[in-house]
Amino acid sequence: MSDPIRTVDSFDTAAVMTDSVGLPEDEFVEVNLETLNQWQLAWRRFKRHKLAMVGAGVLIVMVAVAIFGTILWPYDPTDIKAISRPGGDPPTLSPIENLFGTDFGGRSVLQLVVVGARISVAVGFFTSLIATTIGILVGATAGYFGGRVDNMLMRFVDLMLAIPFLFVILVAARFFGGGDPVVLILIFGLLSWPGLARLVRALYLSLRESEFVQAARAVGVSDARITFRHILPNAMGPIVVSSTLILANAIVLEAFVSFLNFGIRATDVSWGNALANSKGTLLTGNWWWPFFPGMILAMTVIAVNFLGDGLRDALDPRSKET
Amino acid sequence: MSKYIIRRIIGLIPLLFGIILISFFLMKLAPGGPQAQFNQNPRVTEAQIDQWLKRWCLERESSPISVVREFSGWLGVYNCETESLLSEQGGLNFLPAALGGGTNGIIHGDLGLSIKAGRPVTDMIIERVPATLILTTTALIIWVTLAVILGVIAAVKRYSFFDQALTFFSYVFYSLPTFWLGLMFIYLFSVVLRIFPAQGILTPREWSHFNTPNFWIEFGERPLAAILDIGHHMVLPVTVLVLVSIAADSRFVRASMLETLNQDYVRTAKAKGLPKQRVYMKHAFRNAMLPVVTNVGLELPFLFSGAIVTETIFSWQGMGLLFITGVNDRDYFILMGLILVTSSLVVMFNLLADIAYAIVDPRIRYD
Repeated sequence: MSDPIRTVDSFDTAAVMTDSVGLPEDEFVEVNLETLNQWQLAWRRFKRHKLAMVGAGVLIVMVAVAIFGTILWPYDPTDIKAISRPGGDPPTLSPIENLFGTDFGGRSVLQLVVVGARISVAVGFFTSLIATTIGILVGATAGYFGGRVDNMLMRFVDLMLAIPFLFVILVAARFFGGGDPVVLILIFGLLSWPGLARLVRALYLSLRESEFVQAARAVGVSDARITFRHILPNAMGPIVVSSTLILANAIVLEAFVSFLNFGIRATDVSWGNALANSKGTLLTGNWWWPFFPGMILAMTVIAVNFLGDGLRDALDPRSKET
Repeated sequence: MSKYIIRRIIGLIPLLFGIILISFFLMKLAPGGPQAQFNQNPRVTEAQIDQWLKRWCLERESSPISVVREFSGWLGVYNCETESLLSEQGGLNFLPAALGGGTNGIIHGDLGLSIKAGRPVTDMIIERVPATLILTTTALIIWVTLAVILGVIAAVKRYSFFDQALTFFSYVFYSLPTFWLGLMFIYLFSVVLRIFPAQGILTPREWSHFNTPNFWIEFGERPLAAILDIGHHMVLPVTVLVLVSIAADSRFVRASMLETLNQDYVRTAKAKGLPKQRVYMKHAFRNAMLPVVTNVGLELPFLFSGAIVTETIFSWQGMGLLFITGVNDRDYFILMGLILVTSSLVVMFNLLADIAYAIVDPRIRYD
């Protein structure tokens, strides 16, 4: 990137081509020959994936809603209006507020979606952050050092993967959750890493044999530095892809756990919570109340998964063929 | 080969022990303790609670020693009644009852007693197996078949409109939250259109509960009607399961088929002038199915762990719903039992899948 614009001499292709068009021979032509680094190349590949671009856009909107939604549109859980018809349309709401209909308390479902975005998106992001950190630490240690450490860590990973994930999550959320989003994030994060750790280990196993690592070792770079400064950036592609999948899963998981009333407490609002409260009304025909929170949730998850697919193409181009 | 199998089986032992430990301590760490359940029932006397606690080697104030005792009691090594390693018959407790051992603990197939139902957990789990198996097996057969067909077509017609569309819908259905999809199906097909029942396995007005003795008597009288009724109830849950599960598998089949199509022998077969159909179906397809078989093997434990989400939404009285009820009621022994049973099945199916793969694919190294 140091010198993006170069002057080319007459023997360069660009100059030869201008020759044929009949420009004066001794004129210097400036051609924009950009040298792109790794990330710029990846960005170029990513831009080609249209669905991933859309996904990234949706996710950015959701994050913005999660951060600013409650501030711009304050929500009062005690503000329950007396309405005669459950899920009916009281005329007190403006058309925008009433876009997604109302719940049994006469509250705008759109507002529930906007306010609920905060917890749902936060659970996704922070779960992914915790799980990725632990996964990288465990996987890198196992893959880089190998031998007995590797064996012990991987047996533990096997154990974690053998126990049906949903079972442990549900039990943990019921017994330790207490309706607190932070505890829920910790539970999800502390239980979602084994798959990623296995992936990181496999990447490290192959990368530690590569020439650049041998070279680093030969000049006496410390193990910690090789692990994180030399190998990690090269392993980052598959890791990023995998952590977006964890993000998407965590959002669904929060919704499901809350839906069963083991998750977020009833006074808070999350997408899963909005769905949970609406369960019973479905049979009486109030479809909008469960539909819209679920639809927004599904949209976000689809967006994250497409984003993950685009990132795979961009950061891990070798995997594209299979 | 046999060496490989033996080594793998030996490797299972610590894993199974780890599973037993985790399923035990997950419950042990839960605040309140098992007897907290009785607090809500005023008819249970203190003496009854004490008796119950003693039966499971539990103590009101747990100490490290009591936890070890409890664990070995649950395992079946320790006898809670005689308070020793010996059984009532005087033999070592972990031996089978016929050889003078005890009857308690998972070694003897005793997974404890449900707090809520007051019945042996082992019976409760076994009772729920048929319902779950009917649902999951049907779904698995349908989705694997469809995934293979769709995946192979997508690989053969790579980058065609069909392939692109399949990729798109794979991602969409893979991302849809199962429980929301289920709810929407219920609304559409049960509430609005009224063509499929929303809940249960059988129409309650016409049949006794599924898998009870009464049901089997009624089943004997009108088997066809019973099967049709179950089938009618199964349409929605099976469709939901198939839709959300087909995506991952069809992607897997497509990838495996693509990899095979890039092999040299496929090119050779094409170069020889064999008809395309023959190259795809005879040469490529069979080899592409090898990893798929392993993958399906890894999905088999799901047959037992059940579709927790689907069973909950559709009130399908299987093992998944039993688990959810257990979590709701904080019914420790049900939870421990189900986690133990399903995890052990996962581990064993993993092993079987590996062995099957090693047998069908001679290129696999055993070390």
